[in-house]
Amino acid sequence: MFAEQLAGNLIQGLVLGSIYGMATMGLSMIFGVLQVVNVGHGAFIMIGAFTTMTVFTKLGLNPIFAIPFALVIGMALGFLFYYVVMQRLIKAPELASLLATFSIGIILEETVKLTFGSEFRGFNWETGKLDLGVTVLPYSKLIAAGGSALVALLLYLWYHKTRSGTAVRSVIEDSEGARVCGINVNWAYALSFALGIGLTVTSGVFLTMFIPVGINPYMGGGYTVKAFVIAVLGGLASPYGAFFGGLIFGLMENGSYTILATIKGVEPFALTRFFSFVTLLVILLIRPTGLFKSQ
Amino acid sequence: MAMLKVENLESGYGSMQVLWQPSLEVEKGSITSLLGPNGVGKSTLLLTVLGVVAPSGGKITYEDLDVTRMPSHDKVDLGLTLVPEGKHLFPSMTVHENLLMGAYRKEARRHREESLELVHALFPILKEREKQVAGSLSGGQQQMVTIARALMTKPKMIMMDEPSQGLAPKLVGEVFETIEKLKEEVGLTILLVEQNAAASLDAADYVYIMHEGRIKAEGKPEEIKGSSEIREAYLGV
Repeated sequence: MFAEQLAGNLIQGLVLGSIYGMATMGLSMIFGVLQVVNVGHGAFIMIGAFTTMTVFTKLGLNPIFAIPFALVIGMALGFLFYYVVMQRLIKAPELASLLATFSIGIILEETVKLTFGSEFRGFNWETGKLDLGVTVLPYSKLIAAGGSALVALLLYLWYHKTRSGTAVRSVIEDSEGARVCGINVNWAYALSFALGIGLTVTSGVFLTMFIPVGINPYMGGGYTVKAFVIAVLGGLASPYGAFFGGLIFGLMENGSYTILATIKGVEPFALTRFFSFVTLLVILLIRPTGLFKSQ
Repeated sequence: MAMLKVENLESGYGSMQVLWQPSLEVEKGSITSLLGPNGVGKSTLLLTVLGVVAPSGGKITYEDLDVTRMPSHDKVDLGLTLVPEGKHLFPSMTVHENLLMGAYRKEARRHREESLELVHALFPILKEREKQVAGSLSGGQQQMVTIARALMTKPKMIMMDEPSQGLAPKLVGEVFETIEKLKEEVGLTILLVEQNAAASLDAADYVYIMHEGRIKAEGKPEEIKGSSEIREAYLGV
């Protein structure tokens, strides 16, 4: 009975973990290329959630159609914030870019609040279910998880097989070396920031497919914190490391939930967060560069 | 004919001015050497000429074109590049991948195969080590990759910042031999920044002495060698 429950929860964890990974890749990418920690990360996930909700409830379209919207909105915001704000702060002390991304997050949250209000929203997307015996998975969740894994693969191919991806990789390795090869480093920064934000907003679509409720302007905070933990698990600067970090985090969260739920008098949900952060601290202490070899 | 002309250049980092209007000319097909002690602005001059550091005053002319504010990637297209101090390779890429990065620009990519042949003829060991990760090479071999990567950009002129730094004496000789080969056999124009004054004076066609962000003396190497005043004041040889 317990084994079945654990197996079922671990499958759910893997599915959720795939989306967690997706929701961290943008953060890792921006950190890897620009050495900037995007503290406003969660606000961009929230933008993706509102995009999905609008596409579903206002346009009456399948949430899958929110993906191109989210990518375009995210990349447009990314280029805008890069050229208006971040470009000037790259060489400034780290505190400047931390405060800037923090401010951008708040500006986005308040703008969405003014437009949509601050109440919790949700919708119901009926897709049917896959019964695995130990657990039941709605197809909406499988689409979200599969989409996330596909994006991780595409990102890997972009980095290694395309000209622009190779240029960005060279900037990560040595920006001055890239410059003497004739690579437009500022463009590589702009592209990486825009792609990072585009990925993050798109991850908001997948997260909303997985959990289509609780949508409100301030929903991003919790995801920012989880994304930090996952990014550290995956080695901070490596986007596909982040994806595997997400899988591990999803398994850990659901696994510990199942185990903790068997203890009487324990509220397991609160304790899973406790465990996540203990894990983060332990990893920081024993392997500060993350569990995976960084690229 | 002057390939590169720097006039009254001013630049620095933030509020710290490093270059105080040095002027110099690099003749086409020559090795021009820029000498001077550490921290007098030689590297800053090269970085400003390439466009990595923005100039705050003065003029840079390359092949009769005003390139003072031109971004570095456009200068690489015009055949000007830099072998930076401290190598700046892509450590986790292979030797071959590092070389291909040098041929990133469109024009350079069209000549990629012939550039590779040239580079492998100059440094046969790089062909052997092709698949090795650059970060695992010895210091001397890394320096070869740095020079080779610059050659892959299909340059007409290369600026070199301390190419012999940190190398064993035997390798220092090899680096200077390579530099002379690049001039004689490949027909490149070279602006060389070096701490190794003796070897630089031997290789150079013309020499500038820099001190505290200014050009203090210039002349043919014989003239510099002949002036005990200059040698004692700026070169310590």
